[in-house]
Amino acid sequence: MALLEVRDLGVEFGAFRAVDNVSLHVDAGEVLGIVGESGSGKSVTALALMGLIDEPGRVHAERLAFDGRDLLAMSLKERRSLLGNDIAMIFQDPMASLNPCFTVEFQLVETLRLHEGGSRKALRARALELLKQVEIPDAEARLSAYPHQLSGGMSQRVMVAMAIACNPRLLIADEPTTALDVTIQAQMLALLLKLQRERGMALMLITHDLGVVAEVAQRVLVMYAGQVVETARVPDIFEAPRHPYTEALLSALPEHNIGQRRLRSMAGMVPGAFDRPSGCLLSPRCPYVQPRCRAERPTLDGDVGAQARCFYPLTRRGSA
Amino acid sequence: MSGPSAGPPQAGPHPLGGSADVLVGRGAVTVLEAQGLAKHYTVSTGFLKPKGLARALDGVSFTLDAGRTLAVVGESGCGKSTLARQLTMIETLTSGALLLADSAGVLADVTHADAARKKELRQQVQMVFQNPFASLNPRKKVGHALEEPLVINTPLGAPQRAERARSMMAQVGLRPEHYQRYPHMFSGGQRQRIAIARALMLQPKIVVLDEPVSALDVSIQAQVLNLLMDLQEQTRVAYLFISHNLAVVELIADEVLVMYLGKVVERAPKKTLFAMPRHPYTQALLASTPRIDAGARRQRQVLSGELPSPLAPPPGCAFHKRCPHAIERCKREVPLLENAESGAHWVACHRWREIG
Repeated sequence: MALLEVRDLGVEFGAFRAVDNVSLHVDAGEVLGIVGESGSGKSVTALALMGLIDEPGRVHAERLAFDGRDLLAMSLKERRSLLGNDIAMIFQDPMASLNPCFTVEFQLVETLRLHEGGSRKALRARALELLKQVEIPDAEARLSAYPHQLSGGMSQRVMVAMAIACNPRLLIADEPTTALDVTIQAQMLALLLKLQRERGMALMLITHDLGVVAEVAQRVLVMYAGQVVETARVPDIFEAPRHPYTEALLSALPEHNIGQRRLRSMAGMVPGAFDRPSGCLLSPRCPYVQPRCRAERPTLDGDVGAQARCFYPLTRRGSA
Repeated sequence: MSGPSAGPPQAGPHPLGGSADVLVGRGAVTVLEAQGLAKHYTVSTGFLKPKGLARALDGVSFTLDAGRTLAVVGESGCGKSTLARQLTMIETLTSGALLLADSAGVLADVTHADAARKKELRQQVQMVFQNPFASLNPRKKVGHALEEPLVINTPLGAPQRAERARSMMAQVGLRPEHYQRYPHMFSGGQRQRIAIARALMLQPKIVVLDEPVSALDVSIQAQVLNLLMDLQEQTRVAYLFISHNLAVVELIADEVLVMYLGKVVERAPKKTLFAMPRHPYTQALLASTPRIDAGARRQRQVLSGELPSPLAPPPGCAFHKRCPHAIERCKREVPLLENAESGAHWVACHRWREIG
């Protein structure tokens, strides 16, 4: 059974549908990548799962279940104890996620006290142990450091320590390496994967970097304009994308255009709040567009594990 | 995208080809020469404590030819942006010499130039910044932003300025009606087009691009990179392309400069560098870049540690604390840039012969 099951999740800000009927599932111990460009709704999906969407945003879902327990039927108190405990999240900008007024120790202990409790000494020992687990050098000294004394990579490690403090079974990482340099990014990904393997934790990795997904994830979900447009297993999606958007994303990558005079690029941009086409959301930009695409919205079709939201999914040779 | 057909009426075979006769058809024309550029900042380390000295840029030399792209790569804090500020004369150098081609194409020393001469030379180097949301004045219309360099630097009248702005807009793929709009009405990719247009208004010989596409999405990034390559082909402008994205660099650069803590650790033509990186830092950078094709992935070699503080750089080779190949000598002696086999490949490592 899936650890996390989401059916028809929608998030609206006024008339704007940021997330449009997203269904997904995460199995225990799996790494799921969610990719998409800015505005595709990937972060809002994660925030909605964590219950972090504020007014005027509205969240609704057909089903939202964690480990068989229905999150929608739960009381607010029950839900709060689950979030942060069994499901934890780390954010993109580590510098902005830590409170600049308090030391690392204070912030770590705060989390631990809230969810686990214990004596002051025990909590401090646990905080130290967590910093060691996330491979922070000279952990003892870092406990009393303030966030501004830490580099970006170190801050992100502290965030990870906080997230894994309660042994979550699902970790949602929203662009955890985007703000970091490539060498630090490599360290961070190695650390996340190590923790994921050691603890049998599921990891939902939100990123715009297809290279990161290729190296880390087992399964991937591609989002466009608030919708899931393709789901697939990892080597498959890069070898034979079925949705034209996925194909366009891959062929726009510099590394797939080395030696060419120009990059292959897709004209136009993601539809905004007021110019959502009535048919397929990609239809104004799609090179394979057919009359039917402009008239009707396609659904996410195909076998479980390899679905595409397209009337004319691409075959292996790349044409509809 | 626009072609060169939308040129201004006044002169020249091409809207941007100001001194095309000098630039085109003579092989390599050097437009910029940097000799041992250094920029040191004094930094307050606390009340009543002695001032620290950060060597943000420490002896960087290179030349740049017309129509070529030199990429500068390295982690944050390695001095890439400091270098950009020196080349665009936003700051004055601590030491070293910077030579720029003037409007006639003759190299002139910036360091000893008087104010009038400096103003003239400044026109030849323009800059495009990383974040197009911060680099455009939200209270100025696009047309105004594009014409401002002309107001300051040329005697052109208003109709001529508008004419130039409009033809430049066509050239970077903006529509004529955008002339009257404010920056907030544009997406990130379009704003970056505006920023590029503004940089090209004075027909510079060199454009310094500081992470021009890192704030953009993949599909928009491709459009902007294509535009940059088109413009270079049309105008023979030289790019200094600062980036931390090696995939982008591999696509757009002719030559690559790898920096670490204010120093150049490796310099080579693009093909050589990507095929045969010599410096362990370059090797680690390449290995750290996530790749989609399993075949293109190099052996995972996760560098430990982070960039040291420029206030207290380690003695000897600045990289030795993170280097998997470090020996005793690396802790004592600073390696100098030396020529590795083929002529244009330079590397600053004591052990490059053994570890290649």
